[in-house]
Amino acid sequence: MALAGVTVSIEAVHENQIQEVTLDGQEICVPPLSMSECLAKSAQKIDFAEEDGEEKGKTTSEEETEAQEKESSAFQPSLWPWDSVRNKLKAAYTETGVLLDVLNIAKEKKYMVLAHVQQDTNEPKSALQILAKKKAFGLQSISSGLSTAASVLMGGADRLKKSQQEIGNRQQTEFHFELHNLRQNWRLKKVGNSIIGDLSYRSAGSRFWQGGTFEVTKNTMLPSEQVEGTNTHSALEVVIPSELEGSSYVQVEVKHVSESTGLMHATLKLPNSFGKYPADAHWQTKLEVAQNVLFCKELFSQLAREATQLKSSVPHVVVGNQIFTNIFPSVQLSIILCHATGKGDEKSQPRPPKVEHNHVLEHSLHQLLREVHHKTLHLDPPHPVTATFGMTKRRRLAGPSGMSRADLKEMSESETLLEQIIKQARHEVLRVRTMTTIDRLASTIPDPQIMAHWSCLNSSLQSNVKIIITSNGYDGLRLTWQSLDLEIGTDSIKVVTKDRRILMLSFLEKELEDLIRWQVSQHHISLSQNLARLMGWQILSYNGCSGVGEMEDFATASSIQLVAPNNDRMLSIRSGITSGLHVYLKIDSKDSLDPSLTALVDPKWLNLSGTFKEIDMEQIDGRNFAAKLEFIMAMVKQKR
Amino acid sequence: MYMDQLNQAVKGGIAPFHEYLLQGSIVDSSKDVLVHRLRGLCDNADSNPEAFHDHEMIFSLKGSPQQQPMTVYLRHSLIQTDCWHLRYVGSTEFGDKTRQTLVRSCVDIGVSDSIVKFLNEIGFKLEYEFVAKGYFFHKGRMKVTVSKLFKMNIQGDVNNIDPLTLSCLVELSVVVPTGQEQVGEDMKNFAEQLKPLVQLEKVDHRRQQQAAT
Repeated sequence: MALAGVTVSIEAVHENQIQEVTLDGQEICVPPLSMSECLAKSAQKIDFAEEDGEEKGKTTSEEETEAQEKESSAFQPSLWPWDSVRNKLKAAYTETGVLLDVLNIAKEKKYMVLAHVQQDTNEPKSALQILAKKKAFGLQSISSGLSTAASVLMGGADRLKKSQQEIGNRQQTEFHFELHNLRQNWRLKKVGNSIIGDLSYRSAGSRFWQGGTFEVTKNTMLPSEQVEGTNTHSALEVVIPSELEGSSYVQVEVKHVSESTGLMHATLKLPNSFGKYPADAHWQTKLEVAQNVLFCKELFSQLAREATQLKSSVPHVVVGNQIFTNIFPSVQLSIILCHATGKGDEKSQPRPPKVEHNHVLEHSLHQLLREVHHKTLHLDPPHPVTATFGMTKRRRLAGPSGMSRADLKEMSESETLLEQIIKQARHEVLRVRTMTTIDRLASTIPDPQIMAHWSCLNSSLQSNVKIIITSNGYDGLRLTWQSLDLEIGTDSIKVVTKDRRILMLSFLEKELEDLIRWQVSQHHISLSQNLARLMGWQILSYNGCSGVGEMEDFATASSIQLVAPNNDRMLSIRSGITSGLHVYLKIDSKDSLDPSLTALVDPKWLNLSGTFKEIDMEQIDGRNFAAKLEFIMAMVKQKR
Repeated sequence: MYMDQLNQAVKGGIAPFHEYLLQGSIVDSSKDVLVHRLRGLCDNADSNPEAFHDHEMIFSLKGSPQQQPMTVYLRHSLIQTDCWHLRYVGSTEFGDKTRQTLVRSCVDIGVSDSIVKFLNEIGFKLEYEFVAKGYFFHKGRMKVTVSKLFKMNIQGDVNNIDPLTLSCLVELSVVVPTGQEQVGEDMKNFAEQLKPLVQLEKVDHRRQQQAAT
């Protein structure tokens, strides 16, 4: 036989039923039944009523034998007429005898004890059956009532079971649906029985050592069990590594420090709402926050590494999670990594409400790191395709085109993140300085108006401003404009004046201020010059750096001499930066001249020199110098 | 003799590079599916696949009849026409059967357009030439190329071309300094992911040549 070789081992079933399994795995068995209990149980299983019923239809073996006897006796020739009566009586007697015996057995406890058989509660059906089988009408009605009640209960239990199952199914599908959503935004893979995700920027080009794996688990908490007040229930939960918990940001601060203040001093200020997000936040939020933490960490570690490696005249200081660097004398840039786990008692720290956080620089830092990431991933494709991969086209052509060492060196140079951010910070400081200087001067110098037009097209390292100096009421005339263009770089300002001269200013705001003040003084002279032309006056002389008169604090004063159309009046205007504006009128005339000289001298020589008297400009009507000068010119020109 | 010189160059630290290579082919009709799959698997999935169009010329220098001819591969990009590239590929290292990929030493040199003249001057003769068009992908330092080879009807005319076969050549290669065995493992794993589409294997070129002759 084919199955001959198969050994079938039979094992006895566990003899005793297990009543209960305790939490520690111990099994509590039902104690084995004693002999009497066993008998009682077996007896209980016998359906006496059925036997009764059968008895009616069938004859017992005793009756059968009797019938046979009857048959055999029927064949007897001497058939006695009372024979049947005798038989019936005999049977009745036997029955009575048996009854007596039973009664004896029941009454006298000598042979047998009638014990009350405990109904098996686990089998209500059998009890019901027994009840139902009872002939008594009352009992029957009770049993039917009980059975309907039982069926109602059973129906209810079924429904409960079904609904519970449905909830379970829905949770399962919800989990898969959410997992599908998660898969669309995050990298996931299955390792064994768990689902592992990756939130690091590796796939985006990051080479940071710290990984960002998270685990995806099923949310076993039922919607009804969740904390009050939260309405979002997710079937999916993410477990984020502890070092990425909480939230963080990189605080960038540019501040002015006096020389005496220690360099290593910074106060960490956190906004109140920072670092806290609800523990049961949606997984998307959780992952995004953790990713941001990782990003900030990478950014900071990159900056810290660069800060220690970078050589500069003033060394960069890295202390804990802070980097300090001096961008200008007494201007400090501090970059601080703030990481709040949201666990500690943050209310204990007093926090100033205002945080001097430079959002623009923080944003550029993020942008810079992302650029680095992008570069590591987006390499120049090789052409032809067999060429070495990972080089730029220029680098590949360096050999064949015979590039010099200097060219190669220049090509390999690249700016670090820190250098770039320092440049940006410098530019920003310089721009703000320029802005405030111009504004201050515009408000303190009322006479020529100073206007600044900032170009809206600027980069993070360069911005332009055009300064226009005009006189109120005369700004329609282009001739009276004085303008200069400022190109603000990272640590110097390039100035292009109206006459296309190029000046380089350093980062000191004093230099810019001096320049504007000088331009203002120049403006007065050029205004006088242009006004004279318009009014028909002649320019006798113009001196850009007049050597006479009071010494200026810086630069030189300039002067101009104007002659009235009929050659008999002269105006001399001197404009100095610190000495101010002075207008002199020649008061000599033929009339005031010594009469003895009139015959000797041609009147034209009188124009050469003479006595000048200063005009008190305060007394002249007019809103500004231009108006006053025009007024003076008009007055003086008149024939006397 | 040339080999000795080359060995010296290798010993001198000029080009201690090894190329790890796996090859396979795919019929034209399934090429788009493969390209799509590669876009998903490789870096820069966001940008379009990089196309290339190269002209390859194979030059060889024959010494005495006993010696193996020295062969160099010259490629010229028809997209960036100023880029020329000369390549020497050493004999395959068959010694280790456990290796996942074909490993051979190689020397890569960027050259200028006067190279053809130079090669002819020193005695190299043009053996054959073809045009390769296709797509280039990369994942980390792995290079994946899907190229269609064309034969040239007139020598030197890169515009008059006909396809060589009805399938495309798929190559997965990495060029690394000597002694980085991990690469082979990475490549094998990557090749596994392309499996039903294309079967990337280490190809024994010598056996193929013998079969052809």
